[in-house]
Amino acid sequence: MSESVFGVLGLFDSADELLQAIPKVKEKGFVELEAYTPYPVHGLDEALELPKSKLGVLVFLMASIGAISAFAFEWWTSTVSYPLLTAGKPYNGWPAWIPVTLEGTILVGTFTAALGMLFVFNKLPFFGGPVLNSEAADKITHDKFALVLMQVDGELDTGAAVAALESVGARTIEVVGVPRYEKAGMGWWAKTVTGIAATCVVAGFGTAWLVKTFPTVRPMVEMENQPRLDAEAPDTFFAAQRGMQRPPDGTVPRGFMPILAKTPEQGGKNLVNPLPVTKQVLEDGRNMFDIHCAVCHDKLGTGKTWLDSTYVVQPANLQSSTLRDASDGFLYWVISNGFGTMPSYAADISQNERWAIVRYIRSLQRSQDAPERDLKK
Amino acid sequence: MSVGTRSTLWALLTLGGVGVVAAYPLAGTHRFWANWILWFVFMACLALGALFLVALQHVTGAMWSVPLRRAPERIAVLTPWLVPVGLVALFSLPVVFSWTQPNAASITPLVLKAHWLNYPFFIIRLVVCLALWVLSYFLLVKRSVRQDRTKDPNLTVRLRRFSPAFMVILALTITSFAFDWVSSLEAAWYSDIFGVYLFAGAVTTSIAAATLAVIHLHRRGRLPGVTPDHVYNLGGLLFGFTIFWAYIAFSQYLLQWYADLPEEVFWFHQRTSGSMELVFVLLGIGHFFVPFLALMTRNDKKNWTRLTWVSIWVIFMEFVDVFWLISPILGKGIHLGWPELAFAAFFVSGGLLVLQRGMGMGEDMPVGDPFIQDGLDFHLS
Repeated sequence: MSESVFGVLGLFDSADELLQAIPKVKEKGFVELEAYTPYPVHGLDEALELPKSKLGVLVFLMASIGAISAFAFEWWTSTVSYPLLTAGKPYNGWPAWIPVTLEGTILVGTFTAALGMLFVFNKLPFFGGPVLNSEAADKITHDKFALVLMQVDGELDTGAAVAALESVGARTIEVVGVPRYEKAGMGWWAKTVTGIAATCVVAGFGTAWLVKTFPTVRPMVEMENQPRLDAEAPDTFFAAQRGMQRPPDGTVPRGFMPILAKTPEQGGKNLVNPLPVTKQVLEDGRNMFDIHCAVCHDKLGTGKTWLDSTYVVQPANLQSSTLRDASDGFLYWVISNGFGTMPSYAADISQNERWAIVRYIRSLQRSQDAPERDLKK
Repeated sequence: MSVGTRSTLWALLTLGGVGVVAAYPLAGTHRFWANWILWFVFMACLALGALFLVALQHVTGAMWSVPLRRAPERIAVLTPWLVPVGLVALFSLPVVFSWTQPNAASITPLVLKAHWLNYPFFIIRLVVCLALWVLSYFLLVKRSVRQDRTKDPNLTVRLRRFSPAFMVILALTITSFAFDWVSSLEAAWYSDIFGVYLFAGAVTTSIAAATLAVIHLHRRGRLPGVTPDHVYNLGGLLFGFTIFWAYIAFSQYLLQWYADLPEEVFWFHQRTSGSMELVFVLLGIGHFFVPFLALMTRNDKKNWTRLTWVSIWVIFMEFVDVFWLISPILGKGIHLGWPELAFAAFFVSGGLLVLQRGMGMGEDMPVGDPFIQDGLDFHLS
C-alpha cells in the first residue's frame, strides 16, 4: 500500500474492550499501535508498552540549572561584582540567597514542564494530526475508544489490519490517510505575534484605566495615617510651622563642630588631625574607607574603579603626588564638604571617623610609595 | 517476629535499663534528664505523627489510604506509653530547664515568660496534653479496631466527625508540647514557628514508620490486594513532607539569622558552632537532600528496597534532629557515649516490643470500613 495511509483505526465502545484488544492485535503481528481515548485510561500505558516520558529528566536538568544560576548570580553580585556589607552580614551570606534560589528552581522547572510538554514533546505550533482529520475524531472526544494500527515504512497491509480489528471486536473501522499539511507560514506567525502584542497593549491600557478610575483599596492604613511630624513638610504643631526644628541659636550638636575654613587650602592650613596613629585608628579608618570611599576611589585609592569608563568624571587618585603632599586638613575638608562631583560625607561619617579615614589614606599612600627607610626594616 | 528476635529485644531492654539506671548517678543528672526528654520527645513525635496520619485520612476522605490505615493506627499504640515516660520526665524540671534555675529572676525574657513557665501551669499543660492524646487515641484507633468485628458504618461517620476536632487538638497540644519540652529548655529563646517545626518532623517520621510497617506486612503476604500503587502514594507523602520539613526548618533559620536578635540567635549559635556544626550540616543534608533526591522520580517511589532504606534513614534523621535540638543544653561538644547508647537500647527495644504487640491489634487491614473495597480498587494510571 502507498505511504499516504497513516494507519487503520478501529473504534471500541468501552475502555475494557480496548484494553483487551491490544494484546490480541499484537499477537497478530501489529506492533506499532496508538490509542485515543476521551479520558485517561488506567493500564493503557502498560498495555501499549509506552516508554517513560523524558519530560521529567528535562525538568530536573533545567530546574538544576535554574537553581545553580540563581545562586551563582546572587553570589557574584554580592561578593564579586559589588561587594557591600548589608545588615552586618558577611559578604557570602548564603542563607539570604536561598529564597531566590528556590524561586529560580521552581520558575525554570515549571516553565520547562509546561513549554517542554507543549513545544518539545507535543510539537506545537503544529496543530494537525491525521486522526483529528478522521471521521472518528468527534467520537473519540465523546464516548468511544480508538486503536490505530500504525503505518511503518509503507509496510502496513491495510486489508489484514482491517481484518485483525474486526476479529478483536472493533465496532467501526476506518482507514486514516495522511492529509496534506502546510507548515505554519509567515502569515500565521505574523497573526500570532500581532495578537499577543495587541493583547498586551489592551491589557496594559485597561489596567492603567482601571487603577486610575477606581481608587485602590488600602487595607490597614492606621500606621500610615497616624499623627506624626515629617522632616521636610509644613506642620502646625510647632510655632515654627514645620516638622524639623532648627537648633537653638548659638548652639552646635555634639560631634558636629562646623568647619570654618571656606576652601580646602584654608582647611589644610588650619585643621589638625587629633587622632593618634594606633592600630585601632587605622582599622577604624580602613573599615569606613572600604564602606564609603573604596567604591569610587578603589581599595588602594588609585581612583581606577568601574566609574573609570562609565562615569564622565574621573575619581581622584589618592596616590598622586599632589594628594601625597596635601595636608591632613585638606583631605578632611574634602571629605566633609565634598569636592567637584564628590558629595559631602559629613552627614554619614562622624568627625572622628573622618579623621581615621585620613590616617588610613596616609598609610595607603605609604604602602604604595614607601620611603627607603621603611624597606630596610 | 521470631522468638529469637523477641528474646534479643528483651535482653537489650534489660541491658539498656541497667545502663539507664546507672547513668543517673554515674553520668550526672543533667545528662540523664537530657536523654530522657530526648526520647520522650522522639516517642511523642512518632505517636502523634501516626495519630495525625489516621485523622488526616478521615478528614480528607481519601480512599487509597483506607487499606493502609491500620499501619499508623498500630504505630499509635505508643501513645498510652507517653503517660509514664512524660510523668517521669516531670522530675527533670528543677534540673535541666533554664527557667527553673535560681538565676531566672534576673533574666528579662524569663521574667516576661514567667506567667507561662511556672511549675503549676507547666504540669497542668502536660497532664492536659497527655489526657487529650490518650483520649484521641481511644477515639480514633480503638473505634476503628472495634469496627473490624461489628462492621458498623456508623463508626466511620463518628470517626470522620471527630477527626477535624483532633486536628485542632493536635495543633494546639503539639505547639504547647514543643514550646514546653524543647524550647523552654533554653527558655530565653523565641521562635513562634517551633511547634510547626516539630510537627513537620513528626509527620515525616511517622510516614516513614508506616511505610516500613506496610512493606513488612506486605512481604509476608498479610496485605492481600494492596498494590505497589498504594505504597507509591506513601512514598509521595514522605517526599512531600520532607520538603515541608526543610521549608519550615530553613524559614526558622533564615529569619533568625537575618534579624540577628541576641535573644534568638544565641540558640542557633550553640547548635551551629564547634562540633555541633557537623550535626547541623548532617541534618541539612540527611533530613532533606538525601530523601529528596532518593525519592524524586516515580520509579524511586515504587522501588520497595529503596523506600525501606529511605524510611529507616528518615527515622534516624529525626532522631538526629531531636538530638540536635536537645543535646546542646549539656554544653559544648557532641555528647555521645555509653549513657546515650544505653538510652537508645532501652527505648528502641522497648518501643519495638510495644509496636510488635501493637502489630497484632485488630485485623491487618480495617476490614470493617465501608470504603475498604474502594481503597483496594485504587490504582495509578
